[in-house]
Amino acid sequence: MPKTILEVINLKKHFTHRKGLFSSFRENQQSIPAVDGVSFYLKENETVGLVGESGCGKTTVGRTVLRLEKPTSGKVIFDGKDITSLPADELTLLRGQMQMIFQNLDAALNPKMRIRNILSEAITVHHKIGGAEVDRRISDLLEQVSLKKSKLSNFPHELSGGEKRRVGLARVLSVGAKFIVADEPTSALDVSIQAQVVNLLQDLQKRLGLSYLFISHDLRVVELISHKVAVMYLGKIVEIGLSGRIANKAMHPYTHILWSSLVEKQNIETPQKAKSVQAGRWGVFDFERPTSGCRFAPRCPVYESKGKPAPCTDPATEPQLKDIGGAHQVACHFPL
Amino acid sequence: MTTVPILKIEDLRTYFYSRSKQALIRSVDGVSLEIMKGETLGVVGESGSGKSITALSVLGLIGAGPGVISGKIELKSNRIQKNLLEDLEDFVKLTTRDGKIMEVSKDVVGWERKAERVMDKVRGKEIAMTFQNPGSSLNPFMPVGKQITEAIRLHTSMKTEPEAKERALTWLDRVKIDSPRLRFDHYPYGLSGGMCQRIMIAMALASEPSLLIADEPTTGLDATIQSKIVDLLGELKSELGITTMLISHDISIISRLSDSVAVMYGGTVFEYGPARHLLSEGEEAKHPYTSALLASIPSAQNIREKGYLQAIEGDVLDTINIPEGCRFYSRCSRVTERIREKCIHHEPDLREIGSGHKVRCWLYFD
Amino acid sequence: MKHYFQKSGVIGEFSDLPFWKKADEVDLAYVGYGLLTVALVVVSYFLGSFNLLPRDPQEIDLQLMMAPPGTAGRLLGTDFMGRDMLSRLIVGIQAYFLPGLLAIFIALSVGTALGVLSGYRGEKLDTGITYFMNLVDSFPRLVLILLVIAAFKPDIYYIMLAVGLTNVPAVASLIKGKIQFLKQKNFIEADIALGVPTSTIILKHILWQNCRSLLIIRATLGMAEAILMETSLSYLGFGVQEPTPSWGNMVQSGANYFMQGKFWPSTAPALAILFTILGFHLLGDGLNNILEGKRNS
Repeated sequence: MPKTILEVINLKKHFTHRKGLFSSFRENQQSIPAVDGVSFYLKENETVGLVGESGCGKTTVGRTVLRLEKPTSGKVIFDGKDITSLPADELTLLRGQMQMIFQNLDAALNPKMRIRNILSEAITVHHKIGGAEVDRRISDLLEQVSLKKSKLSNFPHELSGGEKRRVGLARVLSVGAKFIVADEPTSALDVSIQAQVVNLLQDLQKRLGLSYLFISHDLRVVELISHKVAVMYLGKIVEIGLSGRIANKAMHPYTHILWSSLVEKQNIETPQKAKSVQAGRWGVFDFERPTSGCRFAPRCPVYESKGKPAPCTDPATEPQLKDIGGAHQVACHFPL
Repeated sequence: MTTVPILKIEDLRTYFYSRSKQALIRSVDGVSLEIMKGETLGVVGESGSGKSITALSVLGLIGAGPGVISGKIELKSNRIQKNLLEDLEDFVKLTTRDGKIMEVSKDVVGWERKAERVMDKVRGKEIAMTFQNPGSSLNPFMPVGKQITEAIRLHTSMKTEPEAKERALTWLDRVKIDSPRLRFDHYPYGLSGGMCQRIMIAMALASEPSLLIADEPTTGLDATIQSKIVDLLGELKSELGITTMLISHDISIISRLSDSVAVMYGGTVFEYGPARHLLSEGEEAKHPYTSALLASIPSAQNIREKGYLQAIEGDVLDTINIPEGCRFYSRCSRVTERIREKCIHHEPDLREIGSGHKVRCWLYFD
Repeated sequence: MKHYFQKSGVIGEFSDLPFWKKADEVDLAYVGYGLLTVALVVVSYFLGSFNLLPRDPQEIDLQLMMAPPGTAGRLLGTDFMGRDMLSRLIVGIQAYFLPGLLAIFIALSVGTALGVLSGYRGEKLDTGITYFMNLVDSFPRLVLILLVIAAFKPDIYYIMLAVGLTNVPAVASLIKGKIQFLKQKNFIEADIALGVPTSTIILKHILWQNCRSLLIIRATLGMAEAILMETSLSYLGFGVQEPTPSWGNMVQSGANYFMQGKFWPSTAPALAILFTILGFHLLGDGLNNILEGKRNS
C-alpha cells in the first residue's frame, strides 16, 4: 500500500493588499483569498493534476505546499511531518525532498552561471561532496534527463526551451527530490518539445518513484499524466477524482465546460450545442466583492436553467466537497 | 471563395543580426504564400518558424535591422493592386557566398521613406492585424471606444465622431462585449485578456479591411475563453466572408477555422494545401514534419493507455545555423537511403503533389 | 547605409563573443581612456606617498616663476613661485585619493547593506529604510559639508565621510531596485526552494554576480564626485591649505595671476581636474553601456 506523501488539509492562503501609508503596520488590510480551503492528498509514485483557469489559485497551492509562501491557515503534512509552521532551519533539511519546477524557464536559472556551476552548486547544497564525485553525479544527472554533456559550459540563455526545462529537472533531482510540484512544465515549450518533456517526466516517475503535483492548463497532458485530477475555481477545489472520470464523466458543471472547450477547439462536428452547458457572456470576477455561496453560480448554466435556486447563493449552504464514491468528490448542489 | 489571391507573398526574406554572434538571423528565409479571397489561411509553426515575422514583414512593422531584404508582396484588394516591395530592392545589396547570403547592405532610411508612402495606405485600411498579448497591444491611455473610433475615422469614409461611434458600438456588440455603451469609455486597464482580444478584433474589422491577420489570437488566454474566441472568429468568417491569415502554434484552432493551411519551419514553408488534406489522420502525402507534429499531440489512445507520446527528436531549428540540405533532416524519421544524400546536401523546392497541395520534401519527388 | 556582415557559414555553439569584440567602439574608447586615467592617478598616488617626485614640490625657485612647460627640465612648467608644476600636480592627488576611497567605501558598504535589507526582506523594514533614505537624500549636501567643517576642523576625511553618507540613499535604492528586479526572475525563489543558504543567495548570487558591475560603476562616479568635492572645497579655501598642494588651491592661488596674462599656474591644475574627472565619468559610462547596457538578442 503506497504511503501518502503529501496531505493538504483545509489550506488557505490569503494575500494582503496594501492600502494606505502605514499599511504594513495596520491590521485592517484587504485580503485576497487566493486559496480558500483546499484539501487533497497525494500518494507516493502518484501524480495529481491540478487544473483551473488563471486566477483560480493553483499556482499558489503549489507554492504554499512547498512553503514558498506561508499558509494563512490549514495544514500541510509532508511525509508524515507537519510542515505548516515548521521553523526555517528544520524546513531546510526537508527542502531537498520537495521541489518545484517553475513555469518561467528563463527565470529559474541564474543567467550569470554556467550550467555546470548551477548543477554543482545544487549538488553541494545539502552535502559536502568533493570534485570528482560531483562530476560523476553531474554525468549521471545529464544522462537521466537526456541532456548533452556539451551544454555544461553554456549559459542559460544559450539553451533552448526544452534544454532549460531539462536543466531545471536535473537540478531538482540533484537535491534528492521525491515530490515535485510542476508548475506549467510544458506551457512555454514548442509543441514538438512538449511531448519530449512529458515523456521524460513519465520516465523519471517510473524509474525514480517520484510523486508529482502537476499544475497545468493543458487538459490533455494533465489527463495523460495524472492518476487523479483536482479542478479548482476561485480558490476552491470544485471536483476531484480519477483522471478518466474527470475528463469523461464530469459531475461539476465547471469541469464539464472546461473539458468541452477542448472539444470545441477541434474540428469535431458538435451538433447544436446543448444549451444547458453553454455559458453565456461574463465579465471579470471581482475579488473585492465576492459573491456569496457557490462561487461558480454567476457563470453556472445549471444555476440558470434551474431558475436560480436559493441554496446555490446562500452563504450558509455553500457547496462542500462530497464523496460520491470511487474516489470522486464534487462540491455542487446539482451535480450533472 | 474565388481564385483571386488577395495576398501573394513570393520568396520573402527577412533577416536580423546578432551582434553577440556576429551572424545573420534568417527568420524568414524564402517564404511563398498565397491567400485567396474569402478564405482563411492557417499558418502553423513553432518558435523560430518565422510565422509572426512574416506577418509583420507584410505590414512593414519590422523595426530591427536589416529587416526585409528581398521578395515580393503582391496585394490585390479592391483599391490597391501593387507589389508592396516594389523598387525597394534598389536600397539593398546582398552578397552571397557558397549559395548563402553572407552580407547585407541596406539603406534603411531610404527604404523606410519609400516603403512608408505605400504602407501608409495599406495598414489598417487594406490589411489589419491583431496581435498576441492583447493587453499590451492596446493603448493604455485611451478609452477603448476611442481607439476604435480613431481607427474608423482614419481608415474609412466615416469621418465624424457620431458616425464612427455608432459603428464602433455595432462592432463591440458583434464581438460579444457585454454592455457596449458602458465599455466604450473604459480604459484597457482591468479588462480581461479575452475582452482585450475581442476589442482588437473589433478595431481591426471596423475599418473593413480586405485582409485580417490574426497573430496568435488565443495564446495566453484561458481554455474556456479560447474556445469563445475561436467561435467568434468562426462566426465572423461565415457572416462576413472576411479573408484571414490566422497564425498560431495551436493546431486545434487552425483545424477548426482554416480552409488552407501552411506549415512553416525554420523560416520556410514546408507544406501548403487544403486543410482537410494536411490535418487529416494518417501519413499519406504529408511532410514528415507535419505528420510528426500531429502525432506528438496526445491522442485519445495515448491518454487511455497513459503511454508515451510520439515526440520528435532533437530541438527546433535555430535560425542562425541553417543546414545545407533539408532543414528538418536531423530530426526526420522518414528518411530513406534513396534520398539521404539529397536530404543532406540539397534543399528541396516546394512542389505541387496534386489539387493545390504543395510539399517541400524529397520523398515526393521522383 | 547599414552593413551586416557574417564571417563564416557555420556558427558554433559557443560563439558568443567576448565583450571586447562585441562592444561599441565608442564605449571601448571611453573605458580605455578611463582606465588610463585611473592608472595615472594610482601611480601618482604611490609616487607621491613614497616621495618619488621629479622635484621637490615645495622648492621655490624665484628665477623660474611661471615658466612654460619644458623650461629647464620642468616638464609642465612652474607655478607662480617657481615650484615644479608636475610634482605639485602629482602630490595634489594625495589630497583626494584616500579620502575619495573612504567616501566610496562608506557609500557602497552602507548603501549595499541597507539596499539588501530593504530589498530582500521587504515590507516593514523596507518602508522604514526607504523613509529614512528619502530623508537623508533631501538634505542639501553642501550645507551638510559646511556644517561638518564648522563643527569639526576642515579635515578632508570628515568631509568625505559626510559625502559618503549622503551618497548612501542613491546606492541603497540602486541595489534595492536590482534586487526587486531579480526577485521577479524566480531564480532566487528557486534557490530558496533548493535550500541554498541565504548568505550564499545574497552574497554570491545577488551581489557578486548581478550587482558587481553596478557597484563598480558607482565607485567610479563616486571618485569623480569626490575629486570635484575636494577640489571645490580647497579652491574655496576650506580644504587643504597652502603650501601643501591640492589641485583646488593651486587653481585658487594661480587665479590672481590671470589678470597679468599668466594663465598657466591656474590652467594646469584646472585641466588636470577636468581630464581626471572626465576620465572617471567616461569609465563609468562606458562600463555601464558594456556591462549593463542593451543586450542584443
